[in-house]
Order: sequence, then C-alpha cells, then structure tokens
Amino acid sequence: MTAMRVDVKVVMLGKESVGKTSLVERYVHHRFLVGPYQNTIGAAFVAKPIQVGEKVITLGIWDTAGSERYEAMSRIYYRGARAAIVCYDLTDSSSFQRARFWVKELQNCEEHCKIYLCGTKNDLIQEDRSLRKIDYHDAQDFAEEIGAQHFETSSKTGNNVDELFQKVAEDYNSTAFQYMTGKTKLAWLRLLQAACHIFTDSPGS
Amino acid sequence: MEGEAQKATASWESGTLAPVDRLRSVRADSPIPGLVEGTEPGRSLSHYQWDYITDCALILKTAGAGQKSAMFIHAHSFEDLTAEAEEEALRTVDSGRSEEQHEEGLKALVAEQNIDEQHSNDLSDSRTKEEDVSSEAWRSHKKHVFVLSEAGKPIYTRYGTEEALSSTMGVMMALVSFVEAEKNIIRSIHADGCKVVFLTKSPLVLVGVSRTCQSDKEMLRELQYIYYQIVSLLTLTQLNHIFQHKQNYDLRRLLAGSEYLTDNLLIRLERDPGLLLSAVTCLPLASSSRDVVSSSLQAAKSKNLVFSILLAGDRLVTLVRKKDQFLHHIDLHLVFNLVGSSSSFREGEGWTPICLPKFNTAGFFHAHISYLEPASQLCLILVSTDREDFFNMSDCKQKFMERLSKRSAYQALKEAVKCPSYSVAQVGIPELRHFLYKSKSSGLYTSPEFPMVYQSDEEQERLLSLYQELHSCLHHPTRPLRYYYRCRETENLLAQVTSGFELYLCFSPLVTKASAFAAVNKLLKWIRKEEDRLFILSPLTY
Repeated sequence: MTAMRVDVKVVMLGKESVGKTSLVERYVHHRFLVGPYQNTIGAAFVAKPIQVGEKVITLGIWDTAGSERYEAMSRIYYRGARAAIVCYDLTDSSSFQRARFWVKELQNCEEHCKIYLCGTKNDLIQEDRSLRKIDYHDAQDFAEEIGAQHFETSSKTGNNVDELFQKVAEDYNSTAFQYMTGKTKLAWLRLLQAACHIFTDSPGS
Repeated sequence: MEGEAQKATASWESGTLAPVDRLRSVRADSPIPGLVEGTEPGRSLSHYQWDYITDCALILKTAGAGQKSAMFIHAHSFEDLTAEAEEEALRTVDSGRSEEQHEEGLKALVAEQNIDEQHSNDLSDSRTKEEDVSSEAWRSHKKHVFVLSEAGKPIYTRYGTEEALSSTMGVMMALVSFVEAEKNIIRSIHADGCKVVFLTKSPLVLVGVSRTCQSDKEMLRELQYIYYQIVSLLTLTQLNHIFQHKQNYDLRRLLAGSEYLTDNLLIRLERDPGLLLSAVTCLPLASSSRDVVSSSLQAAKSKNLVFSILLAGDRLVTLVRKKDQFLHHIDLHLVFNLVGSSSSFREGEGWTPICLPKFNTAGFFHAHISYLEPASQLCLILVSTDREDFFNMSDCKQKFMERLSKRSAYQALKEAVKCPSYSVAQVGIPELRHFLYKSKSSGLYTSPEFPMVYQSDEEQERLLSLYQELHSCLHHPTRPLRYYYRCRETENLLAQVTSGFELYLCFSPLVTKASAFAAVNKLLKWIRKEEDRLFILSPLTY
C-alpha cells in the first residue's frame, strides 16, 4: 500500500484506549474531543503537510485500532512505514507491555521504520503524580536500547504533540538528505572516475 | 468460601456443559436471495417445526445466585427441530401431555438446579461496575439480550457486566444443552409476562428475554441481527476456527470495543422501521439529481470495487454495485449501524475489514468510509475485495467528488439533506398521522416525519411496536393476513399487504373504517406520483 501523495508513512500503534486517535486529532485538527471513549474501527488515514526548514513534507498518518481483533490486519498498516509512533498510557503499565510487543513486531518486520516511543496522558500525571505507572527513566532506557526517540505527551493540553510530529518530519528530512548527499557523492565519484579514465586513456599525456 | 468459589470457576473453565455427542445439526440458512430486494422476513424462520410441551413448570433461579427468590416459569414450548426444514409454517401443534414429556421437563428442572448450586458461589465482586444484576432495576428492563459461547462463557449482555452474569449464562447453556442431549432444540420459554427466546447458531448461543408482547418470531429476527453483527466483525470462519481450537475461549477479547455496535443495533431494532420491514429508506431527492449522483459514483470505479454506497445519515442516497452482486438488506443495515454508531470515520478516511454475512460469512471485504465534507451527513462507503486497495478507493472518492462538485446536483443533494424528509400533511389525508410503505421489488420503504403526537422517543417506540404487531399479524406463520384493521383508544391502525407492497397506516382514533380504507387508494396514488423522488427507480451497476 503506497501512496504517491504522501512523503512519509507514519503509523500509530499501541494498546486500545491509550489515546492514539486523540494524539492525531490534536496534531491534525488542534482539538481535544471530550466525551465517551470511542474506539477506532479498522484504521483511519489522514494526510498532513508539515513545514521542515524550507520544505513541505506530507505525513501520511495511519491511526490504527488498538483492538486485538484487528491485529492480523496491522501488517498492512505498518508495511513500508518510515516512522512508527508506539504509544503507551503513562497511567497503565499493561499498555507499556503492549508497546514492547509492537516494538518487537516492528524490529522483526520493518527494520527501516524509525520508532518513536510516546507516553500519553501526561496531563493526568501533572495533576496527580501517584497515577504514574511507567517511570520516565525506565521508558527512556528502553527507548535508548531500541534506538528510539522518547516523548511524553498530552493530547488534552497539546503538550509535546507538535514537537513529536515535527521530530518525525525532521528525521525523515535529514535521512532523506543524507540519502541524497550519498547519491550525489556517488555521482561525483563516478564523474571523477570517468575523468580519470579520460586522462589515463588520453594518448597525449 | 473463596476456595469454593475458585473451585467452581476452575471446573467451569475446563469443562463445558455441552454434551459430547451433541446434535450438530446443520441448519439450512434462510432461503432469502442475496439482494436488497424485497424479502419476506417471515420465511427465514418459518421452517422449524414446533412441538409443544405444555404446562411444565420450571423453577429457574435467577441471576444473582445468592438471591433466595426464585422465578417461576411456565415453559410450554420446547420445540423439535426436524429435518423437514423448508416446511412452510410454524406449526403450533399442541402435542398434548404425554408422561414422557413431563419427565423431560422434570429432568430439566433437576439439571438446572444442580448447575445453579454448582455456581451459586461463582459471583464475584465484579458486578459493581455498571448495573447491579441482582437489582430490581436490572430485572425490569424491557428487553435483555445475552450472547454466550457453547461452553457457556458470556460474550455479551445488554445490561450489566458479563462477568456478573456468568452463572446465569451457565444456566442458559445448561437448558440448551439439556434439550439438545435429547435430540431436541429449545426455542422459547413462556412465563407470566416474560418470554425467553433461544437461538443457537453454533458456535454461539443467543438468548433474548422480553417483557414486551413481541412474538417469538420477531425476537428471533432480532437475535439473528445480533448474530450477524458479531459475524460481521469476525467472520464465521474465524469464529468456528477459534472455538474448534479452544472451546472455552473468551470471545470478549476479540470483540473488545465493539459492544457499542451491538448496543446501538438493539436501539435501532426498537426505533428503525427499516429493520422491521427488511428494507431501507431513501433520502427524498429529485430523480434528476439522484441520477447525476449515481452516475458520478458509477464512473468512479475500480477493479476490486464491489459496492459504492452513499448515505445521508440513516437514509440511502444511492447504491451502485458490481453486476450480478447484490447487497442484502441485513448487510446494508449492518453497514448503516457501523457508520452511524461511530464517530471514528470523521477523523479521516476510514479503512476497515468488514464481513457482510449475508453475502459471504467466510471472508472480509474492506470498506473505505469517509464523509464528503467534515461536518456533512453524507458518508461514502466504498467496498473492495482487496485489503491493499485503500489508495485506489481513496482515488475513487476523489474522482467522485471532482465530478460531483462540478454539477449543480451536489447543491441539490446538500439541500435535500438539510431539509426534513416530508410531512404527512403533503399527502392530503386529514385523519392520517403516519405511515410506512414498503415497495417489495426494490426493498425500499418510505415514511413521513413523525407528527407532533409522536415526537417523543417513547411515543415513537410505542408506534413502532404497534406497527410490529401489525407486521406480526400480516406475516403470521400459519394464518397470514392481507388486511388488518385495528381500533385503539389513541389511534386506529390499518395494514395491508399485496404481492407488490406492504402498507401500514396510523390514523387518528376518530377515523371510520370506511374512510381509512378509502385513504389507502388516495395514499397509493400520491406515492405513485412521488415515487421517482422517494425511491431509487433505476439502480446502477458498474
């Protein structure tokens, strides 16, 4: 499943009700919907352009359902993804276990996918520190171990949300740039080689 | 005490109440042809033969086992499911009371008491969530629906939590198993003011408990909807596979987060006449505009696209289908329910696997679901066979939108969505308050807005239950009627069925029978005049 009109495929993964949809909703529509919890059915796709330096990059965000029912389908959502935002609920330790599961899944199936570990519902922790079930440093250690970026966000207040997606876009941009420069380097080398050939082959010298 | 409880639970987990040699009769599914077209809902259920055991009193200890009070149930209908499946009628044969049958009833009594004892300690504290299942409030709900696995594990309850009801569901399964062990099938239990209807659809068992005056047939129809709702989330193949693999699997794990779909479907069954009539209703729209919308949808096709459905809330705007592929009204209602119950599709473009059980219980389709505009009621559903087809479907939507927004028809469509449907006053029959008209050939129905007298939800539900009664009478399994006229204190009702249509009218209580019958012709004339606006007369294929 590839799309021409997006630059980066980003997939949201994590246990149900950790707030994947809220995170996307906050980032894309700048709002937080209060109301009864509604689970995502299947997956929702939304394309969002984002400014990085002088370029505009379009993120194609796949907000997947957390329910186990759709687990068999999840492969089609993360296949070819350049970034995965693996979410867990800061107040729910089981959701962190689930995050580990997704990380493993990604490491096995999508090695080129960059992982962003995201602890959600930060606002609840701010209100009452005793609600925290996942230690910041534990999550940080885990992130370092798997080579992931680590964020703690609140979709309710908007805390750290834009930063998260900005980082996703920037990382993509810089890797794309490296790739480009790599390519240019190669082109230069080829040119140089060709030039050498011309010089070595030239009977005049 | 606690130890005992655990023991009971443990034996419950490992064991199953189903007898090993249970009758796994393969039941022919309803002979309804797979299309949206008019189908007589009665036929699907009418092929069971009934055999009554009368006046056999059962004592059924109720849910909150600790409770001392017992509910007395006069069971007078264990039915026998014989192989002569396609038999026309539900024969309400009173088989008399042979000694043998009495014994059967007594054995049932003993069996369930044992089970009840076994699990009387099984109730945990988990019932504190939501409703207390031992409370009077819980008992007095008009209609309960329970879904359980054949191992007796709770899967769904409309009220309360499943955990709290594990012993009740155990009793239900015991009843089912007991009767099945005798190569028989339990269909319903009739108690004073309360009816318990069973539907076994291996590997699931569905039980409805109703305090309304609904017929068994109506309740079975509703249970069947619930069954299809669950199948549409998982496919029957997956369901069978799961339970073959592990008989005491807790299906709630897979259904987590979908309970509200079933909840909403149950509400729809009480409020939406379409589910009663086995039909859907259309958005009233000038045929010229509808044709433009349809042809724009038709033009936005793709290799794997099977159905394109445009909805305005709960009303159909148009449906384009692949040649020779038909969408059954039940499948269509399940799609309506999915879209109508969830705000999830407002976030972006939805992409979800969905099984359309009347089309194929074995596999998933993949539906692209999105609203035409952020705050619009217009929702487009593109059903594809390929799960990798998201961006193709997305392109189809773009194509459709580009085409449509260039035409004036789009404006007309948006206007039509905003307006209320139509008022009954337009028909010009002063005594007429409301009606339902179903065209059998198209599987579509039309009805006006509810008038002032039926504005509240309770009144609307009451009116619909009256229609349901009429419907039951017209489609009575043994004595179907062509006309039915009924005078009540609050309204007079008339129902008529022909080979082409079904009609249900509600008049003021002052109308005379003669003028009510005269109104039918006048209404039919009006509908004929308006039909190109009220119905989809020229359905398109790709």
